[in-house]
Amino acid sequence: MRFILIDKVLALEPGRSIKAVKTVSLAEEYLADHFPTFPVLPGVLILGGLIEAASWLVRATERFAHSMVLLEQARNVRYKSFLAPGSQVEYKVDADRIEQDLSSFIGEGTSGGQSIVEARFVLRHFNLADKDPRLAGIDAQVIQALKDRWRLIFTDSH
Amino acid sequence: MRWIWIDRFVEFDPGKRAVAVKCVSLAEEHLHDYMPGFPIMPECLIIEAMAQTAGILVGQAGDFRQKVILAKIRRAIFYDLIRPADVIHLEAVMDSYTIEAASTSGTVRRADQVVAHIDLLFSHIDQNLSGIRFPEENFVFGQGPIQALLQTLVCVGPLGQAEDGRS
Amino acid sequence: MPKTGEEIYQTVKEVLVDALGVDEQDVTPKARLMADLGAESIDFLDIVFRLEKAFSIKIAREEIFPGDGFFSDSQLASDGRLTEKGLSLLKKQLPHIDFSEFEKDPRLSRLGDLFTVEAVVRFLEHKLSEGPSAGQP
Repeated sequence: MRFILIDKVLALEPGRSIKAVKTVSLAEEYLADHFPTFPVLPGVLILGGLIEAASWLVRATERFAHSMVLLEQARNVRYKSFLAPGSQVEYKVDADRIEQDLSSFIGEGTSGGQSIVEARFVLRHFNLADKDPRLAGIDAQVIQALKDRWRLIFTDSH
Repeated sequence: MRWIWIDRFVEFDPGKRAVAVKCVSLAEEHLHDYMPGFPIMPECLIIEAMAQTAGILVGQAGDFRQKVILAKIRRAIFYDLIRPADVIHLEAVMDSYTIEAASTSGTVRRADQVVAHIDLLFSHIDQNLSGIRFPEENFVFGQGPIQALLQTLVCVGPLGQAEDGRS
Repeated sequence: MPKTGEEIYQTVKEVLVDALGVDEQDVTPKARLMADLGAESIDFLDIVFRLEKAFSIKIAREEIFPGDGFFSDSQLASDGRLTEKGLSLLKKQLPHIDFSEFEKDPRLSRLGDLFTVEAVVRFLEHKLSEGPSAGQP
């Protein structure tokens, strides 16, 4: 299984918002366990999709200045319905604020016009080298890998 | 990979409190995608580990008859990263329990350090979610890796400590 | 320790801010839990649990808001309206709410307007005044 929770970025307004989509396929391994007779996308991966979309908004906005963009806190994450294989979920994330090392968001996921999830969350951004300069090489590696992935999921002309 | 985010229970006080352990290993595929080049456990999977710990505590309180589903993450706050070779303890405490729902508060620790607080709200979905179709049988606690995990409850004695002295 | 209406209101305010993720300034006495503060079914359970903890009392969810089962029972609600039976049941379960305006046009779409912040405060004032033994877990 690949821990990649969105498939394509549909729209991006740097500093403000991002829209992304994830398609749910029965081929995704964890669906065999969640649940054997009722495969549905795990709620935490739906939250994970919102977080991933928001982290791309941060990275694009700050031009990949930081390697680490991580969840600092999530609040009031409400699950409204299930996502079954063969469906698509659209994530819309609006930024409250994006500062140098902290950003906060409201996100929602919808599928076929139905609300799936709503969440509020805060991300923190930093480089490993901030604490240990020897890790600057790893920062560069992470940033490059994510830049490559960004090119795959966000194309200016779609 | 299997969708199981805790390894075994080390303490279990029915209806009140449970502690499970998760060992984090480089062998786990997902660690390599989150921050590619710097493997760490994604926070949403730490939440899932707590949801499984707390969900089993809640499920057991109803003899696993109810379909216990995560309905709301009240709050999840993270204070540090979790890396390969880390062993984390997830402690879930039952705050409220009714026929419709249950709420838990939880702490994740690595040795003596608190690395996260995670408070959850579970729904017993036969009592809620009218209009949404799901199977009759208890798909939450049925087949799957959860069964192996439930077996570890057997090893945790009546006082809540692992009988073989492990903790 | 007896609580004044103002103390109850402040605690209810904190509970709603925590449970619903709204700003404190959004929580006014007339604010409707659903339309104005975005509360949904699962949030009513969350609110009940938090109020129980804050006031050390036991509350049944139906004392604050009807359960999902209520709306799917055709004897209580059908064709987008409350039935006579449904209305009389709600009046019994929610004595702190004034249904006189609603009764004139018992459409379900209007029901949410009755569940305001001050309705929750009135409920708690009533519940807490019943005496120390009332509603104890």
